[in-house]
Amino acid sequence: MEMIKAENLSYEYIKVTETEKGTKEEKILALNHVNLSIEQGSFVAVLGHNGSGKSTFAKHINALVRPTEGVLWVNGYDTQNEELIWDIRQSAGMVFQNPDNQLVATVVEEDIAFGPENMGVPSEQIRKRVEDALNAVGMLEYKQHSPAKLSGGQKQRIAIAGVLAMKPKCIVFDEPTAMLDPVGRKDVMNTILQLNKEEGMTIVLITHYMDEAVKAEKVFVIDDGNMVLEGTPKEVFPQVETLKSYGLDVPQVTETAYELKKMGISISQDILTVEEMVGAICQLKSTI
Amino acid sequence: MSIKINHLTHIYNADTIFEKTALNDVNIEIQKGEFIGLIGHTGSGKSTLIQHLNGTISPTSGEILLDGENIHKDKTKLKEVRQRVGLAFQYPEHQLFEMTVYKDVAFGPTNMKLTEQEIDKRVKEALQTVGLSETVYDKSPFELSGGQKRRVAIAGVLAMNPEILILDEPTAGLDPKGRDEILYAIKQLHKQRGITIILVSHSMEDVAKLADRLIVMEKGHIAMTGTPKEVFARVRELEKIGLAAPQISYVITELKEKGYNLPEDIYTVEEAVKALYTLLKGEE
Amino acid sequence: MIRDITIGQYYPVNSPIHNMDARVKLIITFLFILTLFFINTFLGYVFVILCMSAVIKTSKVPLKFMLKGIKGILIIILFTAFINVFMTRGEHILFEWGIFTVTIEGILIAIKMCIRIVLLVVGSSILTLTTTPIQLTDGIEYILRPFKKIGVPAHEIAMMMTIALRFIPTLLDETDKIMKAQQARGADFDSGNLFQRAKSLIPILVPLFISSFRRADELAMAMEARCYHGDENRTRMNVMVLKSSDYKAVVILAIYCIALIILRFLAARFSFIW
Repeated sequence: MEMIKAENLSYEYIKVTETEKGTKEEKILALNHVNLSIEQGSFVAVLGHNGSGKSTFAKHINALVRPTEGVLWVNGYDTQNEELIWDIRQSAGMVFQNPDNQLVATVVEEDIAFGPENMGVPSEQIRKRVEDALNAVGMLEYKQHSPAKLSGGQKQRIAIAGVLAMKPKCIVFDEPTAMLDPVGRKDVMNTILQLNKEEGMTIVLITHYMDEAVKAEKVFVIDDGNMVLEGTPKEVFPQVETLKSYGLDVPQVTETAYELKKMGISISQDILTVEEMVGAICQLKSTI
Repeated sequence: MSIKINHLTHIYNADTIFEKTALNDVNIEIQKGEFIGLIGHTGSGKSTLIQHLNGTISPTSGEILLDGENIHKDKTKLKEVRQRVGLAFQYPEHQLFEMTVYKDVAFGPTNMKLTEQEIDKRVKEALQTVGLSETVYDKSPFELSGGQKRRVAIAGVLAMNPEILILDEPTAGLDPKGRDEILYAIKQLHKQRGITIILVSHSMEDVAKLADRLIVMEKGHIAMTGTPKEVFARVRELEKIGLAAPQISYVITELKEKGYNLPEDIYTVEEAVKALYTLLKGEE
Repeated sequence: MIRDITIGQYYPVNSPIHNMDARVKLIITFLFILTLFFINTFLGYVFVILCMSAVIKTSKVPLKFMLKGIKGILIIILFTAFINVFMTRGEHILFEWGIFTVTIEGILIAIKMCIRIVLLVVGSSILTLTTTPIQLTDGIEYILRPFKKIGVPAHEIAMMMTIALRFIPTLLDETDKIMKAQQARGADFDSGNLFQRAKSLIPILVPLFISSFRRADELAMAMEARCYHGDENRTRMNVMVLKSSDYKAVVILAIYCIALIILRFLAARFSFIW
């Protein structure tokens, strides 16, 4: 079943800039007739440089922004329908970039209760949901702590728990690791992967870190509001030159394989991890 | 200008229950014109260390010598120290406040009470060094893109003509394009002006490309120091302290562990391509 | 260091006072402060101090923390004492110098005023030290709820307080960082006249405002994404229920008030000024 489906999704806004000659208005097409579908339970990554429209897309899934043209269905709900807004936000939770600016309460467990409280979940069930959510992100021992004292990675896991407590079917992550250090990034990525594998949560990960995107089942690349590439990581990443032209990186191993191929070595092009690279080199050596 | 740090120790909230030793007997010497990469994860003490270098915080014990002179010997000279040792904090764009890019960059030189011509010259030079053209001079800094804002903020520090420039995580939160622009600007700066640069970063790929020497910090002391080649060859040790070498170093290390004959000191894609090519083709 | 300022000075231990309902504690504290203005004899104050000592003992919070608040307002206390000592007219003149007259009555009033302020501060410290900020805001929301009909936005006030408490440490850190960053660019906050000093704050305040607006914007979006839509159909994880200990506290308060009235009556009956 499709969790998210976009048909001809476009989003246009008017940017007003102050110049010496007065105010200037220009229309900006942040998303241009985007078509895509994301299966329930899958893990997809959306790539693109800053300002490519990937964040705008993420906000559409949560009905924080509505299409100016086309349709977006989330869990079968049309986001254009004002009455469905709370159903949409319950089905698709969202975790933002800055861990500091999405926590509301001064105590961790209170913060996680915030979503269920807004949904009107009966009090006695909220506590259970909070404990389960904290358990899922491995932060149960911190439930009485103040978020101000936690590290960036821990805050981000609290934010994830806050969304989990609303029991969504899908979570959209808008560059969740951009402001974290390597340890925090690893923890958050592990949590995301675990949610996908163990809870069957649909994951939409907006990022520009390639080492995170290679873990997805499917990758979408957005550039200037257009969906320009789509496929499995093994299909997308070998297109080294194309990706670079969109201002994106490729994993170092993929780039190395690409360069070796250019030099005439018949090495497979869909190498994404260290293990695959080591394996490929060993195989080449043994066939010689 | 050379920096020498002798037995530097810093304890936060000394004699309270919150007491925390951030730096423990740190000794470093940095020569004029060096490009240093300072690595360590959050809480390793690297932020505390760089704030000591320009006198924003004072040591609990130990000393910091600039050209042989203790920076805390004469408190009235601290302002001069801060001018000579420029410090661009993490997310430096958050300190922008002026109406125009030009005025914001001029803030530092104006505080130094320079002549107007000198200020003008320095502002223009600084903005040029970071790769921003005249068209942005009169724009509000808040209209610019994330990467551009950050370059304006770095220009603001540069305009004070520091002899040493410290950059704390200058690429944090930027996309690959913004990151490459900043790194290119820093590289140019080092080349053209020959000033000493200390680059604090989590990204091994970034420091691998730029630094002459790496200092690895862990739990308030210096865990390793050496050229990138020397440091990244110790992949397994880096992992133990929660850091990672560039991805490609792992490939080389694992291949070596399998008994293949490869040079140890590879940490960029170009080097790896060359080495692997010889490995595969050499025997064909 | 700016971050050393503590806000929300909750002292985390488990005590009968900590476990009391925040609403009850709020109301008791309010009534307690009112009674301070009702007492007019030293005997009365001795009684209050004894009661308060018992409460502090029960709360398990070290006395040191209770008295911390006084340090901050020491100047106010001294100023009050000074005004009362010199400005009170009375019959028993001790000392006269120019327009200043020091009388026994003046000294007595000054001492009483100081005791009052100290008790007021310590009394409210008991509340803040034994109640988490979130319990406090919840309590205020409940207490204000009846006033909603006359247009008091109880939920919104409580939400604002929660968010403010949540962001105070964040913004203090940020201020510290911006100050250091501007200092690194040669900004000087410590010298010059009042006007120059005020002007030197601009490079701190502007970035701070901008970042606060950015944070507010992002937080609003994050709250919306978590289905926030005011207090309509909103439930709470912690439901406030009065326990038997809360009723006991109310009874103790009642006894305390009656004792004060009796004391006052006796003092009037025997014209007892001590």
